[in-house]
Amino acid sequence: MDLVLQLLFTGIGIGAVYALVALGFVLIFRATNVVNFAQGEFSMVAAYLMVVFSVDLGWPYWLSFLLALAGMALFGVIFNLGVYYPLRNRTYLPVIIATIGASILLSNSVLAIYGPQPQVLQGWFDTPGIQLGPVYLDSQYLLIIAVTILLVLFNFWFFEKTLLGKKLQATSQDKEMASLLGISVSTMIMITFIYSAVLGGLAGILVAPVLFVSIQMGSTIALKAFAATIIGGFGDVAGAIVGGLALGVIETFGAAYISVPYKDGFAFLVLIAFLVFRPQGIFGERVAEKA
Amino acid sequence: MKLTRREFSAGLAAGLAAPALMRSAWAQGATIKIGMCVPVTGPAAEQGLWAQNGAKLALAAVNKAGGVLGKQVELVIEDDQTTNPGIVLAFSKLAAQSDIVAFLGSIRSTQVQAMAPDVIKVGKPVMIGGTNPDLTHSGNPWLFRFRPNDNYSGRVIADFGVNTLGKKKWAIVHSTDAFGTAGGKALTEALTKMGAPPVLDQGYANQSQDFTPVVLAVKQSGADVLGTYFTFENDLGIFARQLRQLGVNIPWVGSPSVVAVSSTKLAGPALFGTYGVADFAEDSSDAAKTFSKSYRDAYKTAPDNQSAWPYDAITILSAAINKAGSTDPNKIRDAILATQKFAGAEGEYNFDKNGDGLHGYNVVKNDKGKIIYDKHIDFND
Repeated sequence: MDLVLQLLFTGIGIGAVYALVALGFVLIFRATNVVNFAQGEFSMVAAYLMVVFSVDLGWPYWLSFLLALAGMALFGVIFNLGVYYPLRNRTYLPVIIATIGASILLSNSVLAIYGPQPQVLQGWFDTPGIQLGPVYLDSQYLLIIAVTILLVLFNFWFFEKTLLGKKLQATSQDKEMASLLGISVSTMIMITFIYSAVLGGLAGILVAPVLFVSIQMGSTIALKAFAATIIGGFGDVAGAIVGGLALGVIETFGAAYISVPYKDGFAFLVLIAFLVFRPQGIFGERVAEKA
Repeated sequence: MKLTRREFSAGLAAGLAAPALMRSAWAQGATIKIGMCVPVTGPAAEQGLWAQNGAKLALAAVNKAGGVLGKQVELVIEDDQTTNPGIVLAFSKLAAQSDIVAFLGSIRSTQVQAMAPDVIKVGKPVMIGGTNPDLTHSGNPWLFRFRPNDNYSGRVIADFGVNTLGKKKWAIVHSTDAFGTAGGKALTEALTKMGAPPVLDQGYANQSQDFTPVVLAVKQSGADVLGTYFTFENDLGIFARQLRQLGVNIPWVGSPSVVAVSSTKLAGPALFGTYGVADFAEDSSDAAKTFSKSYRDAYKTAPDNQSAWPYDAITILSAAINKAGSTDPNKIRDAILATQKFAGAEGEYNFDKNGDGLHGYNVVKNDKGKIIYDKHIDFND
């Protein structure tokens, strides 16, 4: 039983990381109908910004955090203008390829600047964790889980209760109709990119103290997050969260009780099973409609 | 004497041509050339620079002592781009220069494997640092290794844990890539031979974000010592932290990554007190200390195995050519293989028939973040 609780905590913790990155995928997909393959690099870039501000320059953690998020907002603007905007009137394929190109450019630029050695980033709390009976709770994972819950609530409020959120939803559902109603589609898409970049960045900063800051940190998480969005239903915010958590728990238990080397295999087995038997995901619309 | 116009022209031409002719004749035999394939670009460019540093340091010493066969030695460097196709191209460029007598290859086994077929075709000695045992065990007579191969790391880890620490219940954790699988197998074999077969043999896939299931398996196995083969330092860092968080504090003897500078930095206190094998340790011998001092003096930074093996390779290769008295590849080969009891920066070289120069490792300890030399374990076979 002790073992199960420990695995459950870890599974939810790592699942929350997938969920945060998956959220970024979903938001951009909803707004532009394009999968952003540079989403993982958003997390990586933010983590390196954090290293620059908090470790290299020695600024206070909270200030570095705010600056890194502000930097990501700016990064979202640049990404939108440089990668999406010039191709906005083309089909989805050139845009997807442009995001793959951006992902390669980003990881190699960081490699050229920082070198291949992983960097260390301290966590928010001085205490590494707490022992609760038989279970050890890592403080950074606790924070990640808490932030994920808050973001779920915030997203619900933002998209359902605010005018801006409704405008964003309208844009993602039907761009032509939205612009007929006087909504500036390109502004809405700009806001989506900014929000996704900040979200991805937040995930990167939160996970950096656990996984260290490295060039590959984004791509390894993004692959799982991508699987999580499909499991949850592409384009569905709640689905991304549930998919991410489910994936984290499934792979942790699979590793513990079946096979550690095939840990990543479980995640993708689940993905394949969903693609075959329920391609629209847990909450999703039919994939055929989206494509 | 009256000079005709024709005689004047001929004399002028000869006068102009003579220095050029003399220069080319002098150039052909003036230096002994050694080719070096090394990353100048790509992910290992920094390590490539350290390798060049080590080689150049040895070169300066050799030339100062009179060079090779009475001539100065010259290093011809070609960029291998840290890739397999890159090293094949670099080697073929060097091999096309017929006056290059021998080469330095890579520290990466996969790159050595890629260039190995061309090495056989060229038929000249190539010094290597890659540690995959197969490289010198698959019938290629031209590869000479200046680091101990991976068979020895498993034996040294087992020997140190069982005989020095007195622990017999082993848990082994290893990566499932080529390096980790071979290492885990070598360690299992060595332990089984010593009558202490491991109670747990646990593989994991590289770039895992979480090691909780692995740590719990170690905990449940009841092992009293841990042996590891980790490929990537970030995996090692995550594992080390989770191991301590979940209360596993048994002694730990690992492959070189446990005591690598970057793991020490990443994992911090989680790695305090661990042991690791290292082919180069600054305090392991007088030769290592001498090398370290001259390296620090020349480059103002700490040396490591990346610079130590090319240093030894140039030193031993130059001595071998001198002993052979010729640049004939077969004679150089025989002279390298005849090198015995040579004190190098990496250890004592005793070449065997396969071309392996070293047969043991240093054991070093992480003492509160500082890596200190503990003991050297060598084997005779």
